Amino acid sequence: MGDVKLAFIVQKPQYKGETSRLAITHAIAYQTVEILLDDGDTVTPTLCFTGEGVLGLQNGQKAMDLYGITSTETHFKNSLLVDLDVLICKEDLARYGIPENAIPDAEDMGADKKVKIVPFSEIQKAVEESKHVLFF
Amino acid sequence: MGILTIGCFPGLIGNMSYDFALKLAEAAVNKGHKVNIWFSGNATGSIKAHQKHLKDYSTGEKYLKALLEKGVEICTCEACTVARGIQKTEGIEKIQWNAMHWYLAKIHASDRVLQIGGE
Amino acid sequence: MKLGVFVSDFKLTTDTLDRLKADKLGIILVMNGVYHAAVKESGKSSALLDKTANLYALSEDMQTRGIKDSDVDKRVKVVNYGDIVDIMFNEYDKIAWL
Repeated sequence: MGDVKLAFIVQKPQYKGETSRLAITHAIAYQTVEILLDDGDTVTPTLCFTGEGVLGLQNGQKAMDLYGITSTETHFKNSLLVDLDVLICKEDLARYGIPENAIPDAEDMGADKKVKIVPFSEIQKAVEESKHVLFF
Repeated sequence: MGILTIGCFPGLIGNMSYDFALKLAEAAVNKGHKVNIWFSGNATGSIKAHQKHLKDYSTGEKYLKALLEKGVEICTCEACTVARGIQKTEGIEKIQWNAMHWYLAKIHASDRVLQIGGE
Repeated sequence: MKLGVFVSDFKLTTDTLDRLKADKLGIILVMNGVYHAAVKESGKSSALLDKTANLYALSEDMQTRGIKDSDVDKRVKVVNYGDIVDIMFNEYDKIAWL
């Protein structure tokens, strides 16, 4: 069956609910799915943040210090570390007044992969190119 | 006939998205489709055995057992489940325990996927 | 892209739905989403009903809330769980839950 592309659309803010964080960790799980698949089969998620989903991605999160839980920032960086394609809606960052340089990269963790801040049309394209779309 | 995989994240108690997921699974399997259900987040609390069905609350156990009997594969996220204090020995028999890649692997072979996010 | 979208809330952000373009869009109203099929807020039907001609509402969730078929906007087809399974498999190739 080969590769199956998936679009993960995160449209809710982080922290109050668990779903938005689970989107990231489920996408990261693509890294180990091959142990359950036939040779040559893969799953490739693209992690997309739109609408209020762009909230809670900024640098400098202290969730571990204050609540003893892994921050979204760390999960987000881990997604780059495992080479996931991560798209953030440019229009929505602008709508909420979040500067693009407030979005972390994972260079400090050794990741080459960079987040892509893109117009919504690029997210639409990712949805169209995927076999399944999962909204979180 | 096709393969439907449902990702169910909402809890059993507190809203009815969970009930919807199970009823949809039942309708699909009754039509001859293969159905997989992945529980993550608060939905994982529903896999504990010996649920008491009080009429003000939804119940999962009897419906889950009926779906398992019909060949539906049901798997709970192990991390989410143990984080809620539920051990494997306390779970409903025949419900699988695995990591998130189980869900992705089932999606790989699926014709349709319905991801029901949590509250 | 043929996209079937489950709408499960009455008050919701349809932000992403508003922007996603599909060759064929279907909206399946379930749970509190069925109010879109019947409630006229300040005398006006839900704007959601203007998004597509392919509108469905789950009978079981209507009946649970005391909504009768006769209360439903004429543009909406009332369906049961079995119908929804057929709609998912036969009418749309991607399914989303909002």
